[in-house]
Amino acid sequence: MFFKQVWRNAAKNRKGNGLFFGSLVIAIVAFYTLLSLGEQDVMIYLAKVESDAVRKLLMLLPAVYVVSLFFVFFLVYFACKYQTDSRKREFGMYLMLGMKRSRMFFMLFLETLWSSLISLLIGIPVAFFLTEGISLATARMVGLGIIGHHFSFSMSAIIWTVCGFVIVQLIAMLIICVRLAKTQPADFLSSGAQEKQISMSISQSTEFFAIGVILLFVAYYLGVFRLHTLDARVFLTIIGCGIMGTFTLYKGLGGFLGRQIKRKSPNAVGLQTFTSRQVQENVLSQHKSLAVASLLLLMAFACVSYGISMGFGRSASRSADFSMFGEEQQINSILEQEDVKEMVKTSYPMYLSMIKQEYWEGEEKEFDMSRFVAAVAKVDGTENILENLHIDYIIAESSYNQLLKSMDKDEINLREHEVALYSSMATDGNFGIMVEESLKNNAAIGIDGTEHAIASKLYYDNIVADRAITLYMALIVPDELFYELAREPEVYCQNVRLKDELVDELGLMQAVSKMDDRLAQTGVEYDSFLVGIGRNLFYTVSASYLTIYLGVLFWIIANTVIGLKYLIQQRQTKHRYKTLSMLGAGTEEMCHSVKKQIQIFFMLVLVVAVISSVAAIYSMFTSFTKLPIGTNMHMVVAISAMVLFAFVLTEVIYIGVVKRTASKEVSAIN
Amino acid sequence: MNTSDRILQVENLTKTYGKGDNKTEALKGISFDVLEGEFLGIMGASGSGKTTLLNCIATMLRPTSGRIILKGQDISGFKGSKLADYRGKEIGYLFQEFELLDNLTARENITLPLSLHGITAKKAEADIQALAVMLDITEVLDKFPGQMSGGQKQRVAAARALVSSPDIVLADEPTGALDSKNSKTLMDKLATINKEQGKTIMMVTHDANAASYCSRIMFIQDGCIFHELRKKINKESTADFYDRIVAVMAQLGGGSVNVL
Repeated sequence: MFFKQVWRNAAKNRKGNGLFFGSLVIAIVAFYTLLSLGEQDVMIYLAKVESDAVRKLLMLLPAVYVVSLFFVFFLVYFACKYQTDSRKREFGMYLMLGMKRSRMFFMLFLETLWSSLISLLIGIPVAFFLTEGISLATARMVGLGIIGHHFSFSMSAIIWTVCGFVIVQLIAMLIICVRLAKTQPADFLSSGAQEKQISMSISQSTEFFAIGVILLFVAYYLGVFRLHTLDARVFLTIIGCGIMGTFTLYKGLGGFLGRQIKRKSPNAVGLQTFTSRQVQENVLSQHKSLAVASLLLLMAFACVSYGISMGFGRSASRSADFSMFGEEQQINSILEQEDVKEMVKTSYPMYLSMIKQEYWEGEEKEFDMSRFVAAVAKVDGTENILENLHIDYIIAESSYNQLLKSMDKDEINLREHEVALYSSMATDGNFGIMVEESLKNNAAIGIDGTEHAIASKLYYDNIVADRAITLYMALIVPDELFYELAREPEVYCQNVRLKDELVDELGLMQAVSKMDDRLAQTGVEYDSFLVGIGRNLFYTVSASYLTIYLGVLFWIIANTVIGLKYLIQQRQTKHRYKTLSMLGAGTEEMCHSVKKQIQIFFMLVLVVAVISSVAAIYSMFTSFTKLPIGTNMHMVVAISAMVLFAFVLTEVIYIGVVKRTASKEVSAIN
Repeated sequence: MNTSDRILQVENLTKTYGKGDNKTEALKGISFDVLEGEFLGIMGASGSGKTTLLNCIATMLRPTSGRIILKGQDISGFKGSKLADYRGKEIGYLFQEFELLDNLTARENITLPLSLHGITAKKAEADIQALAVMLDITEVLDKFPGQMSGGQKQRVAAARALVSSPDIVLADEPTGALDSKNSKTLMDKLATINKEQGKTIMMVTHDANAASYCSRIMFIQDGCIFHELRKKINKESTADFYDRIVAVMAQLGGGSVNVL
């Protein structure tokens, strides 16, 4: 009998409350998706090329798992609270019929476990297919190919998912039961605890609202104009002002809304005043939840933006796919072979050399950097760069032009007495941006008494296939000057770039692998772009995946918190709709009011979150996460637009679900 | 009695709950009329069917059979906007537990039935003020229900029931949640409104004191009209009428064998 009741109650909970059940399933999907990261095709591949980095990432996973547990706990707690709140009368009845509290709690725990089991049975297959989908999609996107894909069912991920989920659910239920244990049967049986209208003096609420706005603006100002100094005190002040500002803003918002309602109510018709008062009441009693939800949404936006930028920031642009070293004749004979030839788009010699020693000793011949140093010094924040400023290498203009041509980029046209600056570090955040800015200050280099202007554009495309080889700074000089200055004026290596059709057909990784296999047979010394792709992939996958994952998790939790908070409040004030109906309000009119309340309620959270996000993302991209120069802005804008669209779409769907649930409850009153 | 004086006609009204063996007949074919300007009280033991009757007239319940005619219109078939109009304009309802919306001020609560029908508080300001003076609630107009006493809440609820000038005010145990002092104040106000404005009031009550303010009382037992008392206007004091009511209530309690 007892177990039959447990089973029935759990079934009723699932049927009657999709939002509750949906939240549980989302929690499971969230855990499994994170924990099975190591089983993803891309990760398995990366473990081969970048085993150290992958191991470090996998060591980081438990920490992210604990963070997720913490946040998912709130999701589950609110879902369970919503569920138990709606069953208060039932609990009161049990107690009055003589059921012991301990037995009632035991029943609730069994119901929770039973619901957990059903959620797991649904959630794990959903999570499995989702991760497989992500695995296939990323593999395809990065050119890994999907032929070698195998279904990976991670047992350890399942075990940890089950443990985490059950523990989180039981802790949530335990907290709820402690609260229920203190409730008297009469309080259970009363139609629902009515929140008293919290009255705060108008001047007091105005103060809170104003202080909140000021604190937020201080945070925005510091973020936009001061964060680039990367000073820890500035960072802490921004965090402090932002959090406190958001909380005080919402604390004062109820009073602010009250004043607006009072001003408008003499001319209000229909349920306008009622709708606004409902929203105001929600804001007054839930201002802390609203602030938390708004901050979570801000974190979600920031995480996703950071994740995407990390994907971009670390993307190694493809220049040369292979660099071959050795005798020119031997290399040429290999490249002439039919099967190699049909894979190669272009090949060219790369002239790269150190500058002759005598230019640095500087008695007969001189290499004068003073104007370049002065130009760099004019740019703020270049102290570190100035300390290490040195140019040891030169690249021949013709080789570099061939490299640019192979990438379908514009070639350099150096004028007389002009050189260009090269740095393979330019894609690392601020460095490239500051150096390029300094080039605009009439930077020049004196070579043997002649002033050579430095072109205002900084060049950074990798001159060899191996990304591990970096050049801090080098000069791209006209070929004649190259031969004059070079310590070893011979060909450094022969660069090869694969045909675009081949890459399109097989995916970059497989195309490079194919050529790699072929070259391995020839015995010639060469470097391939494979490691470059590997590292690029690793950063894209690990940094982007984890931050986007956390972003999505925050976003789901924030929405669920707002939705459930609203629904809990509506359920507590359900009798009002009965009164409204008796006063002549139609069901449609009431549903319209409910929908409007939800819309405003969500908007109050979203608007603050979006404004803060704009400031936060702007600050982020102008300080520690600068997009590297040369990033395809169209691509960034397109991806941002897609992400924004996905956000708006899912937000609309979410608000729609809450609206439908709330309208259904109101319609049932009549 | 002139037919045109009848504001409400209830004809052969039945209400049955449940099906088959579980069938309970709450109203067993009740018929009566309410005259314009009348203060009708309905009394009876718990479960006699008095609240079911009031709820059928208020359209909170749909009767199983029979007709309810208010000002010549059968309300049993009302749906949608016609039903909403009936509830908001033609009847005023006074609940035992006041049912004020606790997140709205008194003024906003009173205005609600009007604004639901497109009339703003600004337009109705004069009426609201007049009602507030009459019911002695001017000081609490901008307060929330949580800041008022029970008596003030019920008088605000009365103002809300009267603001749209309904044809009839239906009151379900309006003094049920009030102490004796506040009950008396409320009943005095309702009686004044009935006398001075000629407002028709139909009130369900257990309280003989409250019932003694009525001009006619209908006693219901087991879903049928069991007895009726009329106050002898100008001849009988409220106290005498109260004694007669108590006598009938004693009979009701003792069974129908000893009735009158």
